[in-house]
Amino acid sequence: MKRECFAETGFLGAAVLSASLTALILIFMLFLGFPLFRGGCFFTLLTTPWNPDKGLFGIYPMLAGTLSIVFLSLCWAFPLSLGASALISVIAPTGFAKFCKKTVQMLTGIPTVIYGFVGVFLLVPFIREMFASGSGMSILSASLMLSMVISPTMILIFTDTFESIPASYSAAADALGASPVQKLLYVILPYSRQGIFAGLILSVGRAMGDTLIALMLAGNAVAVPGSILDSARTLTAHIALVIAADFDSIEFKTIFAAGLVLYVFTTSLILLVRIIGGMGMKNR
Amino acid sequence: MKERFIEIFIKSFAWLSGLLLLSAAFVIIGFLLVKGVPTLSLSLIFGDTSPADALLLRRQVLTGLFPAMAGTCLLVLLSVGLATPVGLAAGIYLAEYSRGNLKSFFSLFYDILAGVPSIVIGLFGFSLAISLHHYVKEIYPCLLISALALAFLVLPYLIRTTQFAMESIPSETRLTAPALGATKLQNIAYVLFPRSLPGIASGVILAIGRCAEDTAVIMLTGVVAAAGIPGSLLSAYEALPFYIYYISSQYRDAYELQTGYGAAVILLIICACLFLAAFYLKNQLMDRMLYRQ
Amino acid sequence: MTENKSNEIKIKTVNLSFYYNRLHVLKDISVEFPERSISAIVGPSGQGKSTFLMIFNRLWETIPDARMEGEAFIRLKNKWVNIYDRSISLPELRRSAGMVFQTPNPLPMSIFKNISFPLKLSGVIEKQAVDEKVEFALKQAFLWEEVKDRLSDDARSLSGGQQQRLCIARALTLDPEILLLDEPTSFLDAGSGQIIEDLLLSLKESCTILLISHYMDQIRRIADRVMELSGDTSNNS
Repeated sequence: MKRECFAETGFLGAAVLSASLTALILIFMLFLGFPLFRGGCFFTLLTTPWNPDKGLFGIYPMLAGTLSIVFLSLCWAFPLSLGASALISVIAPTGFAKFCKKTVQMLTGIPTVIYGFVGVFLLVPFIREMFASGSGMSILSASLMLSMVISPTMILIFTDTFESIPASYSAAADALGASPVQKLLYVILPYSRQGIFAGLILSVGRAMGDTLIALMLAGNAVAVPGSILDSARTLTAHIALVIAADFDSIEFKTIFAAGLVLYVFTTSLILLVRIIGGMGMKNR
Repeated sequence: MKERFIEIFIKSFAWLSGLLLLSAAFVIIGFLLVKGVPTLSLSLIFGDTSPADALLLRRQVLTGLFPAMAGTCLLVLLSVGLATPVGLAAGIYLAEYSRGNLKSFFSLFYDILAGVPSIVIGLFGFSLAISLHHYVKEIYPCLLISALALAFLVLPYLIRTTQFAMESIPSETRLTAPALGATKLQNIAYVLFPRSLPGIASGVILAIGRCAEDTAVIMLTGVVAAAGIPGSLLSAYEALPFYIYYISSQYRDAYELQTGYGAAVILLIICACLFLAAFYLKNQLMDRMLYRQ
Repeated sequence: MTENKSNEIKIKTVNLSFYYNRLHVLKDISVEFPERSISAIVGPSGQGKSTFLMIFNRLWETIPDARMEGEAFIRLKNKWVNIYDRSISLPELRRSAGMVFQTPNPLPMSIFKNISFPLKLSGVIEKQAVDEKVEFALKQAFLWEEVKDRLSDDARSLSGGQQQRLCIARALTLDPEILLLDEPTSFLDAGSGQIIEDLLLSLKESCTILLISHYMDQIRRIADRVMELSGDTSNNS
């Protein structure tokens, strides 16, 4: 019985250790960014511009950059993923649907840095030629490539939801003579609402947490972007770029503020997904 | 009439998005292969050094990808080696020992950890290195710190796949050993864990893939553009994905750019192989389940 | 079916009730089973027959939201034991009360390893003792002749009837005093069922057997007594 206890304690220890990392990351961000938060400066930090020469270290431009790139990439990726999932689950003939799904699964395995690399040498020149503006490193380029990064996962979540619809519903629709599209519209989509929403939110989290695409393709200019052809810097790219700076500077401390904002955002998204999931359980 | 119009619209939209996605994917991969495959050669990897000398570490490789590939391998081995025991143990705890509120509490924490952006994990690793530096002067961002941070990154995946693999064992199998007088630990060690190995193994392989491709974590925790083969756990190192990133912004001539394409193709091949291995193992698990029924 | 009436009582329950969540499956059952006999448990499905068997090795405790009231006693090594007493070691109880399920459940390992598995669990590692035990159990289960040359084969390569006898042999390796059988022949063809029936009759000399069965003719052939679990009442006959 001693060995039983010993093993259980060991397993519990591993579980507690892993869970404590979650808290530890938050504590580190808070502790190291602490000088910034004293006297309630944290919120001013989120709303002021970045101009180190004038002693302004606000991360508002990065916040705006992040939000615009995330929003735009979802504008491309969400309809695309929804359409592609409908194709895979309902519309395409079985053989082609299988091929599509396999391809999408493979796409989730492609390293982000490779998307970024191809973006730099293929997409950016293309955008530059197309719009004849600047370097081509812009919110548009980054958001297009980012939508390629997040779409495969989103499609897999959607198709899983579509395919989890009870067979009896599907059979009922078939028996009533519904066409595949009607089945999709009146049976599958209403049933999958929560799954679609959860997939969308998880993708927001992924898009927001991605560093490389924005770092490589968005140009990293520290200014609030005015159009989608402007260059922008995201919070993640800001962390990657400033890390080399002097450790004691205020400039350096701002990356902990950026990290904290990212942490809080992604955590709230996870909580949101959980709440939706919880409601889903009750409804069924 | 309206019905008919909607039907056609939705169908064409679905085909359009599907084909758009597929063609974009093929353009990306095709572009990389067309540009990258011709650059693949032994000299791309080993430069002017002979492969045997390089592999036996008799001579430094100065112009090839070998140090970056070796760095990635070491990094993957270390981080997965660190994360796997903890991840499996925590997964077992979650699946077999915890109940009710405690279970949902733990899963919430792991979900949050899985959602934390990798750059924030990297920042955490960096801060850890700086904090430790106050006590141990030798510690800077280095191979060990990167491996630790990557281990944090993949830990929640390992925990969840382990938990899922164990929980999906059918209850007849679950009861067999206890009915023969097995204790809980014996049941886990002799029946439940071996039965969930294919699922766990595919989780470990996906974790390897994540460690091999990650760039954001390592660029904050010790990777550099030129370091050679790392001499110890506390030295800086090179890695393939970082090399690709570095070349894309800092390449000096056409030749260096060529090596960038080569590195990207090599990384793509590595990740594809890992992915296929994970896929194969997962299907094996499914087969076994069906067979048992 | 004759001289058993004089046998001593081996198992008894007192005011036993069982609940799944709010569903009341077993209601106030007090029964006694004599030793060295085969007692058949019959009744419509959903009346908790399988649950009733799991009372005696406490296997139901792994099921979430299940709850038991009342008491259960077994005379182990000639001493009455309240099997729900705190001091009872669960593995030991389960080793003295072997169980065989409806579907044969060999573990994914060789025939030999399957049979010796319970020995491994209870810490018997001496090679010769294990070999002897395995052979003895397989002989007891009428399986030795069929498998003695292929002990290292995967147990799942056996036929359904052989697999079920393998599971019985596996339960026998620890010399259980009680054998709990949950419809052991329901997935087998008539021939395999016959062999298992003969096997049970030979085992009753050393074990007390509780058997769930749907087949009236089977019960007539081998059971010494019948207990019926139905809706509200349980009858002994």
